[in-house]
Amino acid sequence: MSITRRLLLLGTTVGVGAGRAMAQPQGQGHAHGAPATPAAPPAAQPGPRPRLPAPRDAYVYIGWPQDGQVISGTRFKVWFGTRNFGVAPAGVIKANTGHHHIIIDAPLPPLDQPIPNDRNHLHFGLGQTETMLDLSPGTHTLQLLMGDADHVPHDPPVMSKRITVTVRPGKPQAVAAGQAQ
Amino acid sequence: MGLSMLPLATGPAAAAERRPMPENARVYILWPADGQTIRGGFWVRMGLTEGGIAPAGVAKALTGHHHLLVNAELPPMDQPIPNDRNHLHFGLGQTEARLELPPGRHTLQLLLGDEEHVPHDPPLMSKRITITVLP
Repeated sequence: MSITRRLLLLGTTVGVGAGRAMAQPQGQGHAHGAPATPAAPPAAQPGPRPRLPAPRDAYVYIGWPQDGQVISGTRFKVWFGTRNFGVAPAGVIKANTGHHHIIIDAPLPPLDQPIPNDRNHLHFGLGQTETMLDLSPGTHTLQLLMGDADHVPHDPPVMSKRITVTVRPGKPQAVAAGQAQ
Repeated sequence: MGLSMLPLATGPAAAAERRPMPENARVYILWPADGQTIRGGFWVRMGLTEGGIAPAGVAKALTGHHHLLVNAELPPMDQPIPNDRNHLHFGLGQTEARLELPPGRHTLQLLLGDEEHVPHDPPLMSKRITITVLP
């Protein structure tokens, strides 16, 4: 009995959204971090649709690496921080949730359209909360931007500060900050 | 034949059926660190390597949502995770939580649950850490 109650209390969430989820047109945007095909921007959209609201206090940030950090080794972990907001896979329509996109060496895309899907705009449509990046030696910028079920930023947009990191060739450091156990 | 297929095709999986996650998936507490001493309220940062986060109630393969066990043993793995002050649910898909704990020693452990709050198979849980909250 108590189990049933719990499910009622906690499981009320998305049924509906999930049902609709798979019908979303932009199926190709769900790639993991993998740089995708030189995706044609999803131009098939009929026009801007209303952006989903986000709470004013919602924000995302890059928990690792830090702004200005010098990273040894061209493969490193990026940890996505999310406050006052939830993570949901692409295609899931649920208030106050979204999924992460990481923008590499690129300015913010237009905020009223689906976020592009290419090597400078990686989608984390499974609801991932961290990733490993492979970047060439040099200076790079990283920025997180949340997108909704259709990869459109919220209103107001939920995005991180854009940080700059310097990648040096060499031996990877032992993962990072609070890392593994 | 058509008749028998229809209802079955849409029925949800039995509650007891535990779902898989990617083989190399791992759950960990990014912060605080094991053994850490803390004063006042603090944020717990939850880490998931491989796989994704989905809110409770969302049926999507290779996803789950976090539960934080505070001063509690692991619950049975074949049932929904209890929902009380020792078993905090993050059914919106949260990956951070603000905790206020009384002074003293406390244990924290993360356990991932599926759309129905049942642990995966094999279960994905973090190491159980101990922290000390100062008065």
